[in-house]
Amino acid sequence: MSGPVVTQRPTSVKAAKDRGVPQMPPVPNKEDITATWDYLEMGINRVMHHFTSGIDMQSYMGLYTAVHNFCTSQKAVSPHGGSPANNAAGPQRGAHLLGEELYRHLIEYLNGHLGQLLDTSRTHSDEALLQFYIKEWSRYTNSAKYIHHIFRYLNRHWVKREMDEGKKSIYDVYTLHLVQWRQNLFSPVSGKVMEAVLKLVEKHRNGETIEHSQIKAVVDSFVSLGLDDADPTKPTLDVYRYNFEKPFISATRSYYQAESQQFLAENSVIEYMKKAVSRLEEEEQRVTMYLHPDIKAQLTTACNETLISSHSTLLRDEFQTLLDNDREDDMKRMYGLLSRIVDGLEPLRNKFETHVRRVGLAAVAKVAADAEKLEPKVYVDALLETHTKFQGLVKRAFNDEPEFTRSLDNACREFVNRNEVCKSGSNKSPELLAKYTDVLLRKSGTSVEEAELEATLTQIMTVFKYIEDKDVFQKFYSRMLARRLVHSNSSSDDAETSMISKLKEACGFEYTNKLQRMFQDMQISKDLNSGFRAHCEEYEHKIDSQYSILGTGFWPLTAPSTTFAPPAEIQKDCDRFTMFYRNKHEGRKLTWLWQLCKGEVKATYSKSKTPYTFQVSAYQMAVLLLFNDKDTHTYEEIASATSLNRESLDPALTITLKAKVLIAEGGKVGPGTTFKLNYDFKNKKIRINLNVAQKTEQKQEEAETNNTIEEDRRILLQSVIVRIMKARKRMKHSQLVSETINHIKNRFVPKVADIKKGIETLLDKEYLERLNDDELGYLA
Amino acid sequence: MAESKQQMLHLATNDHAVIQVERQVAERSIVVKHMLEDIGDEAVGKEPIPLPNVNEAVLRKVLEWCDHHKNDPPSTGDDDNESRKKTTDIEEWDQKFMQVDQEMLFEIILAANYLDIKPLLDVGCKTVANMIKGKSPEEIRKTFNITNDFTPEEEEQIRRENEWAEDR
Repeated sequence: MSGPVVTQRPTSVKAAKDRGVPQMPPVPNKEDITATWDYLEMGINRVMHHFTSGIDMQSYMGLYTAVHNFCTSQKAVSPHGGSPANNAAGPQRGAHLLGEELYRHLIEYLNGHLGQLLDTSRTHSDEALLQFYIKEWSRYTNSAKYIHHIFRYLNRHWVKREMDEGKKSIYDVYTLHLVQWRQNLFSPVSGKVMEAVLKLVEKHRNGETIEHSQIKAVVDSFVSLGLDDADPTKPTLDVYRYNFEKPFISATRSYYQAESQQFLAENSVIEYMKKAVSRLEEEEQRVTMYLHPDIKAQLTTACNETLISSHSTLLRDEFQTLLDNDREDDMKRMYGLLSRIVDGLEPLRNKFETHVRRVGLAAVAKVAADAEKLEPKVYVDALLETHTKFQGLVKRAFNDEPEFTRSLDNACREFVNRNEVCKSGSNKSPELLAKYTDVLLRKSGTSVEEAELEATLTQIMTVFKYIEDKDVFQKFYSRMLARRLVHSNSSSDDAETSMISKLKEACGFEYTNKLQRMFQDMQISKDLNSGFRAHCEEYEHKIDSQYSILGTGFWPLTAPSTTFAPPAEIQKDCDRFTMFYRNKHEGRKLTWLWQLCKGEVKATYSKSKTPYTFQVSAYQMAVLLLFNDKDTHTYEEIASATSLNRESLDPALTITLKAKVLIAEGGKVGPGTTFKLNYDFKNKKIRINLNVAQKTEQKQEEAETNNTIEEDRRILLQSVIVRIMKARKRMKHSQLVSETINHIKNRFVPKVADIKKGIETLLDKEYLERLNDDELGYLA
Repeated sequence: MAESKQQMLHLATNDHAVIQVERQVAERSIVVKHMLEDIGDEAVGKEPIPLPNVNEAVLRKVLEWCDHHKNDPPSTGDDDNESRKKTTDIEEWDQKFMQVDQEMLFEIILAANYLDIKPLLDVGCKTVANMIKGKSPEEIRKTFNITNDFTPEEEEQIRRENEWAEDR
């Protein structure tokens, strides 16, 4: 931008009015460096030392103009014209920009000023030094901004050119101020300033009130001095990190090391945790209050290490005590502390798992004193209580952390499947759970609120989740569901459906397939019955009958073990139904499950005014109807008329005798006994249920269920093996075993020996073949 | 920008004229802007701002430009200027503005440099550049009234050194 030659106009400045500060003389001769500098120095001095009293516009513009005039002066000198006497640099050709001398003078001035400050600083220490440093820093930087503006012409031209040419250690005027400060004042005194800062912080940590702004100011100053030497426009935190963070962190460490040790020596771990938590919070606040955010990570690490890591063993040792005493808040605190350090929680999780298992086992042992008479509800409640308690703990004290939930799950799985009650057999847990579900879903005297029932079913599912032998549960559940459906004493269809869908959600479609089919069968039967009733309109002597058609494969029911000749009235209706059904579905075989049939008979013979109604089984009905013909029958007569075998007939008779509907001579049931109708029968109730299963029958059923489990498992194992092999074609033996376990473990936990046996069986049956190298192949 | 309540400033030239001007207009000069920021509001307006390097005629001219451009966005970083430097295009109003005698043109340039009004400085320099463009050295000398102080040998040497730049 070398302009053409134009003569400068002479300058004239009006004298500024007296303001109590040294008067500025008129702008000096622009070509006279000494005069110019003297003039500038006076101005800079005013800015530096009388900053608060300000500077008037006259002086400001005068100073700016002086810098401008000096920088442009020598260009005005024509190369061939007479050179001015003071022009030491000599004429320059081209675009040489003047200013170096001003720049050098400025540096000298700053060095002088800072040297004075350094001398004064030596007379101060601690807080006084801190105050001095902050005061001077603030004055210096404020002045620097002014001087930067006054020297703007130098910045715009000479400094810019020097920097563009890549000259190192030439800075714009403001940065120059910072660089000089760093060299001449910061380097010699920063250590002492830092000492003062640390003393102040220690006071603060000791609970004294301090002037936060002082530390904040020092931090800001240290940060401002971080200038990248390669590129002065880019600030770095190096200076601050080295001179502030490093000593600060190491002071923090030694402070908390000492404090925590002393505190622990005098106080309990519980008290210490409270202290540590509040200390950690304090330090976090400290960062936002008066430190630079850069320090946060380091400070946190330092605190974590000194306050937590170094005492972690001590903390963990306390955990068991806290668990034993349900100190939830303290556990929460401990969790909060240990979660801050690496691998801090793993030992807690292990202890927690062991503890939950122990508590769970103890809870079971308490109720298991009489395993034979154990109420399902008591058992399940015992399991649930432990689970609920510790789940709550996980949620409240351990932040609902998945890792802790896993420990809880592991512990629960252990005590649900292997406990005092399960000693006799691992099937006990699923069996009792299924029984409890049955109790809930069965119609009973005490009605349960629907919402409450739903909540309890959800709890059942919680326990179900931990059950390893899910197939056992399925078995018992389906038996009991069948009984509920057949005897139509299920409390609510909604609850049944809800439970089935819960199971389906947990174990998949296959698991509940049969249960759902059973449910469907009952629905279909309802429609069928109304059809049948319409069909029977025309017949005389109707009996009020209800039929259920149960799909053979889906119901856990077997045909009766005895022959049976139903009473004629019943037989007639059954025949009608059979005809009706055959018309609808050709070629289907109906098997009558007499043992599950029941009915009601009215005792019109008795002397009471209202006739009694007996609820009876089909067998009992057949027996009682015989007494329509005559009042006395021998055992042999009854047996031949009903064609029932002893196993079925005897229990039926026993109950009628017990209820005194019939009277037997000798009171014993067996061949040779004669039964007589009791005309004097009396009861408080009008409706009497004679159809009660005896304890022995129930026991028998349980045993049967358990017996089929082993067989079912064998078949399930084999089918899984075949399915895997069909998909893979060939597989190593060991691989097949582990794959099978994977597939089946959501039903039960298989034994490796059983799998091996299954494979052997399949080899014998030629589903599989042995190949080389321990491999097995699939034979289609 | 709210123009309704513009603060008025007084600028004093070296020939003792005082010119009243909106603050926004005056702040096109970075020097004035910084000074106002530094000195603080209470001192502003009490006395005229002395501009010892500018006379009334030039300052009025400069302020005319500032007034016209008072709503221009402040020039950003140097990269942006880089592209502006490369072209000698001047917008129409500025072209007309620069139709002044040579002496005034150079005064404007000096004043723009002194007052730190970068865009005006650019316009001025571009105007001069356009006056040089396409002219032979002799024509340029004539235009700017420059005496040739080279010896013929010197001239020949310079011509040879710059041969590569000849537009042929």
